[in-house]
Amino acid sequence: MKILIVVQRYGAEVIGGSESHARVVAQRLAKLNEVEVATTTALDYWSWAPHFPAGESMDGAVRLRRFPIAGLRSPTFKDTERRLLFEPHTLAEERRWLIEQGPHVPALLEFLHREGSRYDAILFYTYIYEPTAAGLPLVAERAALISTAHDEEPLRLFPYRALFQLPRAFGFLTPEERDLVHARFANDHIPSEILGIGLDPPPWHDPQPFRDRYAPRGPLVLYVGQVSEGKAVDELVADWIEYHDTGGSGTLVLAGTQRMPLPDRDDIVSLGHVSEEEKYALLEAADVLVLPSHLESLGIVLLEAWQVGTPCLVSAHNPVTRGQVARARGGLAYERDDLAEALAAVLAKRDALGSWGRRYVERECTWPAFDARLEQLVDLAAS
Amino acid sequence: MSDPSLLVVVARYGDVPGGAEAHARSVVQRLKPSFAIEVATTTATDYRTWRHDLTAGIDAVDGVTVHRFPVEHPRAWNFKLFERRAFRAGHTLDDERVFIDAQGPYAPELLEFLFKRGRDYDHVLFFQYLYYPTVLGLPLVPERVVLVPTAHEEAAIGLSAYKPVFLAPRAIAYSTEEERRMVWRRFRNHRVPNEVVGVGIEMPADRDAARFRAKHGVDRPYLLYVGRIGVSKGSRELFANYEHWRASDPSHDVALVLIGDAEIPIPKIEGVRHLGRVTEQDKWDALAGCAAFVMPSLLESLSLVTLEAWAAGRPVIVDARSPVLAGMTRRARAGLVYRSSAEFAEICELLMDDPALGDRLGRSGAEFVASTYTWPRVVETYVDLFAEVRARQSRPVN
Repeated sequence: MKILIVVQRYGAEVIGGSESHARVVAQRLAKLNEVEVATTTALDYWSWAPHFPAGESMDGAVRLRRFPIAGLRSPTFKDTERRLLFEPHTLAEERRWLIEQGPHVPALLEFLHREGSRYDAILFYTYIYEPTAAGLPLVAERAALISTAHDEEPLRLFPYRALFQLPRAFGFLTPEERDLVHARFANDHIPSEILGIGLDPPPWHDPQPFRDRYAPRGPLVLYVGQVSEGKAVDELVADWIEYHDTGGSGTLVLAGTQRMPLPDRDDIVSLGHVSEEEKYALLEAADVLVLPSHLESLGIVLLEAWQVGTPCLVSAHNPVTRGQVARARGGLAYERDDLAEALAAVLAKRDALGSWGRRYVERECTWPAFDARLEQLVDLAAS
Repeated sequence: MSDPSLLVVVARYGDVPGGAEAHARSVVQRLKPSFAIEVATTTATDYRTWRHDLTAGIDAVDGVTVHRFPVEHPRAWNFKLFERRAFRAGHTLDDERVFIDAQGPYAPELLEFLFKRGRDYDHVLFFQYLYYPTVLGLPLVPERVVLVPTAHEEAAIGLSAYKPVFLAPRAIAYSTEEERRMVWRRFRNHRVPNEVVGVGIEMPADRDAARFRAKHGVDRPYLLYVGRIGVSKGSRELFANYEHWRASDPSHDVALVLIGDAEIPIPKIEGVRHLGRVTEQDKWDALAGCAAFVMPSLLESLSLVTLEAWAAGRPVIVDARSPVLAGMTRRARAGLVYRSSAEFAEICELLMDDPALGDRLGRSGAEFVASTYTWPRVVETYVDLFAEVRARQSRPVN
C-alpha cells in the first residue's frame, strides 16, 4: 500500500510526543508499505523557524517531503491566543488564529489537493495544527486522524467541529482520548483503533551505581521528563518538600532538561538530560516513578518503567495516566495532599505492582501487537 | 414539551423562482407543524446576480421567521472566469476558494450567525451543496446538520472544497436514488445516515384537458414541456429534435406546447406554441392532456414537473445522458429514453401510434410517485432523520 503521513514536524532531533509517534509509525509501516511523510522545515513549534532543507529526502525507507513554512510564528501569538480562548470573538478571528498558530504551509495543502489521490491512506497527526485542520478535509475519503487530543480550550474552536466528523477512521493513543473525543463530538460511529505504542527492549544498563548512591538514604523516587512547570514538576517538588519535612525520607531524582528553578536541597537531585542507558538504569534503580503532569496524551515513561518492573505514581487529575495505571495495575494515582500515603502504599507492594506493569507492557507494547493495531487503522482508512 | 427547533439554511427564500428554493419552501411548510422552524437566507432573489433585492433583518414568509443576511457584493461580472479557472485540471486550492466566494451569494454575516447561534437549534437543514452558505456554513454546525444536496453531475462537484459538505453532516436527504448513488461513488460517504426523501407531489382533484385545449386554442395532440426555457435546460436540443421529427414524419400532426419563462428566443417552427406562465390549474389541465411530457434537461437533481407529469398519469420522454431522469424513468417504467435525434423521433411516432402504451407508462409513473414522493412519507422520513440527529446530541457533550 502507498501511505502518506502528514505531521507538523519530523525528524530524529525533533522533540515532541506526537512527532515521535509519527516517526515510529512511519518506520514501522515502511517495513511492508511504501511510506512518505509530508511535513515542514521546522524543528521547533514556538517559532517554526526553518531548520531542515525544503524538498525531498530519505529517512531510512521513508521518503520525506518537506514544505516551506510561509511565515514565522509571531512573538505575540500567545497573547492573541489567550484573548481568543477566553473572550468573545468572531469566526474571522478563529480563522486567523489557526493560520497564526502555524505552521502555515500553503504548499503542503496544495500538495494534498493535487497529489492526495495517489495514496491509499493518509494519516494525519495532531488535530490542532493547520496542516491537519485544513489538509484533512481535502482528502477526507482516505484519511485517518491521529488526533492526540486532550481536554484543552482549543478543542472547542470551530476549525475542529467539522474536522472530527470527517476522517474515515481515528487512531487514538489511549481509551481516555477516545472517550473524550466521542463525548465532545458525538462521533462514535466513525471506526477507531487504540494505537498505544510499541517499545524496543531496554538497552543494556546497570542500576547498581544509582542504588549504591541513593538507596541508603531511603526510597529513590524518580521523575523522568522535561523539568518544567508545564509538566507540573513545581507541584511535585512542593509536595515532596512537604512530605520530607514532615518525617518522610528518601531522594527525589529528576532526570531531564531543566527549564525551571529548583530549591537547593540534599534530598532533591536534578541530573539534567540523561542517556537511554542511564534512563533505564535509573528506572530500574528507582523504588517508584512519579509522573505529576496533568496533561499527558500517552505516558510513555510509565511503560518504560514497567519494562524494568518499577511501579508508578501518577496525578489523579490526569485521566490518561490514571487510566493507564489502572489498566496495567502497575501503580497508583495520588492527590496532591496525599503523596506520603500514596508513596507508602506503592512501596509496600512495589514488586507486585512492578510485575503487573511488566506483564502489561509485554502484552500490549510489543512490536507485533503495535503493528497489528496500526495495520487495522490503515485498512480502515483505505477501505 | 416544546417542539424541537429547526433552522433551514438556503441561498434564497420566499417568492423566488428556482427548483431548490421551491423545494425548501414546500418542505418548511410541511415540517411547520412538528418543529419550531426558522430560516436563514440572504437578501438576494436572483441567482445570476445575487443582487441585494430584499431588506436585511427579520422577515416572515408563510408565518415562518426568516433571518435575511446581506449579500456583501453581487456576483462578479467576470464570474465565469473564476469558474473556468477552478474547473480546469491542475487548478489550485486558491482557485477553488476564489470561485466559492465569487459564485456567492457572499454573505459573511450569515456565517457569523451560524457560528454564534447555530448551536441554539436542535437541527440545521441545509439546502443545495453548491453555494457559499452551505460550503462555509455547514462545517460550523456539522453535528446537527441534515443536508439536502440537490446534486447532479457537474464540474463543480469535483472540487476538493465540497468533500466536507458531503462527509461532515449528521444525515443526508437525497432527492433521488440516482443522486444518492452518484454522491456515494464520488465521496465514499456511505456511513453518513441517509434516505431518499425528495418532496411530495400534490395534484388538484379536478384536471380537465378539454378546458386547457379550449382556453389556449390547442386542437391537435401535443407534447408538453413545463419549466424555464433556456440553454442549460436543453431547450435548443428539444427544438431541434422536434423539428427533425416533424420533418421526417409528416403524417403525425403534433404540437409542442411550452409553458414557462423563455430566456432564449423561441424559434419559428411550425407547431411550437409558447404559452409563457400559466396558472397552477392550467398546468395540471395541460399535463392531463399531453401525449407525453418531454424533459430534455441533462442537469436535474430532481425534476418536480417530471414527477407531476407522472402523477397526472402521463409518460415522459427524457435524454439518456441525464443520469437522474433516465435512471428514474427506467426504474419507474414510466417513459422512454432517447440517445439521438432519430430515437427521439421513433419514440414520438411509437407513442402516437399506440396511445395505450402511453397510458400504461403513465399509470406506472403514477404508482412510482405514489410510493415515494408523497408528503406523508416525506414528512415522516424527515422526522426520522431529525430524531437520529437528536439521539446523538442527547448524549453528554462538553
